[in-house]
Amino acid sequence: MARSLFITVMISTALTLLVAGACVAGAASAPDNYRFYCAQCHGLEGYGDGPNATKNQPVEPRDHTSAYEMGKLTDEDISYVIKDGGIATSKSTLMPPFGKTLTDAEVTELVSYIRKLCNCSAR
Amino acid sequence: MKSFVTIFSVVLAILFLFYAATPTFAGSSESGKKIFKKNKCIACHQIEGPAREKTIADQMKRKGPELWYAGSKFKAGFIEVWLKNPEVIRPMEYYSITEKNRGDHIKLNSADAADVATYLESLRSGAVKPVGIQPAVDRKGRIIFSKSQSCYGCHQVLSRRGRVVGGLTGPSLIGAGKRLNPDWIYAYMTNSTAFKPVKDMPIYAGILSNTDMAALAAYISTF
Repeated sequence: MARSLFITVMISTALTLLVAGACVAGAASAPDNYRFYCAQCHGLEGYGDGPNATKNQPVEPRDHTSAYEMGKLTDEDISYVIKDGGIATSKSTLMPPFGKTLTDAEVTELVSYIRKLCNCSAR
Repeated sequence: MKSFVTIFSVVLAILFLFYAATPTFAGSSESGKKIFKKNKCIACHQIEGPAREKTIADQMKRKGPELWYAGSKFKAGFIEVWLKNPEVIRPMEYYSITEKNRGDHIKLNSADAADVATYLESLRSGAVKPVGIQPAVDRKGRIIFSKSQSCYGCHQVLSRRGRVVGGLTGPSLIGAGKRLNPDWIYAYMTNSTAFKPVKDMPIYAGILSNTDMAALAAYISTF
């Protein structure tokens, strides 16, 4: 009796861990998210040269490799901009809000990824 | 008897006028389905819902827009006209950041285009409710499109001077009013995951109100 209970508990635990693992695996990595969402404007390497950066746009997308420009923003600023759009830091509304598209964890990882692109931190 | 003949003639004349005024749309859905299969359209276009993509990788495997709700998305008649003269709608290859759309979509003759259009127009989704969005140059819709959300960042539009402006990753919205069912635009804005669970356009449900999205759908429908 005790043995069958033990087996049941073990199987349930294993299943729970499997499901939890699958959920975590469902979240995309920062490089994948960057290439899928951000690169449209900021370019695959972050130079601000994505296909939406056409000559007729009123402003150019931020060059994420520029330590000078990115150093002006705190991690919180970048996080707000990703979630609420450019308007969150009085920047261009051409940067749309991804707060309902990405999870908070994905946004945090994207901030770290962008910091790697500029190789900088907030001044 | 004479009055019966007169009434009969009038009814016949009305029926004749009615059919003569209706555009000929003699497509066969059954035949359209066969043509769709024969041309291997399924290699790029999904015709069975619901959407099953869960990850970016799932979405990136898709080579063309899903058509399992084509009859709810496109305006009646648009598909037939487009298949005869497939002009580029997406400036970039499907979900590509690097490749421009080569504009090499298969072109169909009139008979095949009518059949395939009839078949695709039979594919509908209950997620598109007949809310009755009407095209309207609404101030609110215009401000959201041009100022607060800057939709032109990703979608091409015509400027006031008639120049093509805007970004390239989204489908062009030039001619959207002739192409899209206004109720579908509203459904896509308010419940996008029913159509595309993973897409490169942000989810706006929870950011814009339903009233805002109705105004936006009405405005886009005038393009």
